[in-house]
Amino acid sequence: MFFISHVLNPNPALLWAGPKAHPETIKAIAAEYHLNDPLPSQLYYYFQGLLTGNFGIDPQTGRSILSEILFYAPNTLELVLASMVIIIVLGIGLGYISGMRFGTKTDSAIRVFYLTAWSTPYYFGALVAVLVFASYVPLFPSGGNGTVGFSYTPITGVFVLDALLQANWPALQSGLYHLILPATTLALLSFGIVPRIMRSSILDTRWSMHVKAARARGLQEGEVRQKHILRNALIDTTTVIATTFGWLFSGTIIVEKVFAWPGIGQFSYEAIVSDNYPVLVACVFVFTVGVIVANFIADIVYPLLDPRITLGEGG
Amino acid sequence: MSNALSTFGLVTVTIFVVAALLEVLTAGGITPYSPYALSPQINVSPSLEHLFGTDFKGTDIFSQVIAALPVDMGISIGVVVTSALLGIVLGTLAGYFRGALDEVIMRLTDMFLAFPQIIMSLAIAATLGPSLLNVTLSLIVVWWPPYVRLVRGAVLAVAAEDYVSVSKALNSSFFYIVRKDALPNILPSVLVYATTDIGSALLTLSTLGYLNVGIPPAMPELGKMVSSVTYNLYLYPTQVIIPALIVMVMVAGFSFLGEGLRESLDVKLRPHILLRGRGLEKLVIDQPKKHGGVGTTPVG
Repeated sequence: MFFISHVLNPNPALLWAGPKAHPETIKAIAAEYHLNDPLPSQLYYYFQGLLTGNFGIDPQTGRSILSEILFYAPNTLELVLASMVIIIVLGIGLGYISGMRFGTKTDSAIRVFYLTAWSTPYYFGALVAVLVFASYVPLFPSGGNGTVGFSYTPITGVFVLDALLQANWPALQSGLYHLILPATTLALLSFGIVPRIMRSSILDTRWSMHVKAARARGLQEGEVRQKHILRNALIDTTTVIATTFGWLFSGTIIVEKVFAWPGIGQFSYEAIVSDNYPVLVACVFVFTVGVIVANFIADIVYPLLDPRITLGEGG
Repeated sequence: MSNALSTFGLVTVTIFVVAALLEVLTAGGITPYSPYALSPQINVSPSLEHLFGTDFKGTDIFSQVIAALPVDMGISIGVVVTSALLGIVLGTLAGYFRGALDEVIMRLTDMFLAFPQIIMSLAIAATLGPSLLNVTLSLIVVWWPPYVRLVRGAVLAVAAEDYVSVSKALNSSFFYIVRKDALPNILPSVLVYATTDIGSALLTLSTLGYLNVGIPPAMPELGKMVSSVTYNLYLYPTQVIIPALIVMVMVAGFSFLGEGLRESLDVKLRPHILLRGRGLEKLVIDQPKKHGGVGTTPVG
C-alpha cells in the first residue's frame, strides 16, 4: 500500500496543500513529513507510524486519523459481528439440513436460496431491502445506527454493547432495531459459501467409514450426528467462515453507504473518491488487520474441533 | 435438480455471451435505440415499445443494458482468464520446483490475499483514473492469488504420484511433464473455479461501477446504471431493479454452470487451498505415514 501510494502519487505535499498553494508552503509540508528523504527512510517513518498507531492527520478534516478510525471502527464492528452471528447460525443450519436431506426438495430449495443470495450484488440486495422493509412494509428504519437522541458515555464504542452494559434499555432497543435490517442484508449477501461448504462436507462425512463404524458400535443416532458428522463437517466450515470476514468487510462499503451507517466502510469509500491517501492507507490497514485476526481466531478454533490437529510444527 | 440448474446456467451464459458478441460484431446494431440518446419520454414504465422502460433522461434502458453487456462480460472474462493463466504459470513453478522459488511466490501470494478485494481494487482503480484498462488491471491485482494456491496444491498432489517419478526417471523435460502429466490433472479444477469466478468478477466490477470508480463516464455499465437512478428508487423501482437483476442473473448463470461442471468433472471443493493463508500449513495432521513417504501432510 505504501508503494502504491508512492508510485501513483508523486507529490503528496502538493495534493495536501492544494493546487494553488505557495511553493514555500509546499516545501514546508514536505520537510515536516520527511517527504524529501530517500525512499527507505520514508518507509522507516511509515512503519514507525503504523506500529505506534500514528496514522497522521486527516488532510481534509484536520483531525487525527486514529481518532476518526476509533470513532468509525466500532460501528462497523457492531455491524460485522451481528452479521457474523447470523451467518454462523443460518449458514451452518441450512448447510446441515441441506446435506442431511441430500436429494430432497428441501435440499434443492436451500441450494437455490444460497446460490441466489450469493449471486446478488450488494448494492441490489441492500436497495431492495430498503425498498421492501423500510418503504413498502415499513417494519424497520431505512438508515442510521439508532444513536441519534441518546446521550450515552462510550465504553467500548459499540453502541448496542454500551447500552447493554449500562442497562440503557431504550437505547438498546433503538440500536438493535436499527441493526437488524443492515446486519441481515449483509449476512445474507455474504454467506453463500458457508452453507455450500457445510453441505459438501456433510456429504463427505455422512457415508464415511468412521460414521458407519460409530453406527455399528450401536451409538444413538443423535450422538452419531452430533459427534461424528456435525463436528467433522465444522472443520472445513470454520475455515470458510474466517474467510467470509473478508467478504463482509468488502460488503460494508456498499451496505453502510445504502443504510447511512457511520462505519469504516463508508469512511474509506469517501477517502477513495476524494483522493485522501493517508485515510485510505489507514483504512486498508485496519481492514487487513481485521482479516488476519479472523484467520487467527479460526486457527485457535481448529484444535478444539479436531483433536488430530495440533498447533505448531512436527507431526 | 442439479441438471435443471446446470441447464439454466448454460442457457443464461450462452444467451448473454451471444448477445454481447452480437453487440460488438454489429457495432451496436442490435440495440433498438441509441443507449446514449436523450428523449422527452422520461421515466416510461416497461412496455412493448420500451421493453425495460426509460430512465430520467429518456434513454431506453433495454438498449443501455445491451450496450453494457460487452463491457461487463469482456472485463470479467478478461480478468479471470488472465488471473488463471498467471496462476497456472506461477503455481506450476512453485509446486514443481519447491524450495526458494516456492517460498518467494507463495509469500507474495499470501501478501496479496490478505487485502480485502473490493477495497484494494477500489483504491487502485480510483488512483489510476477511469479507463477500461485500469479497471481491468485493478481487478487482476486482487484476482490472481487464489489461482496460484489452487494450481500449486494440484501440482504438489500430482508431483507425488508414481507416474511423475517414472517420467522424471525417464529423463523427461520440465515442459513435457507439465504438459503431459500436470496440466491434464490441473485444468478441470481451474476450469470449474474460473467459471464460477467470472460471476464473482462481474459482481466486483459492477460494484466498482455502482460506486462510480474506474469506469469511464460515457461507458455504459450495469452497476453504474443502477447508481445513476438510485434516487428514483421509491418512485420508479423498475429502473433500479432491472439492471441489477440482469447482473444477478448473469452471476447466477455462471455459478450454476460452475456447479454443474464441478459435478460432471467430479472436482472436489477444496476451500483450504483456495482461501487460506500460510497459517494453516503449520497445522499438521498426525496420520500414519505412507511407507516412509511424506512425513507431514498440510491440511487440505
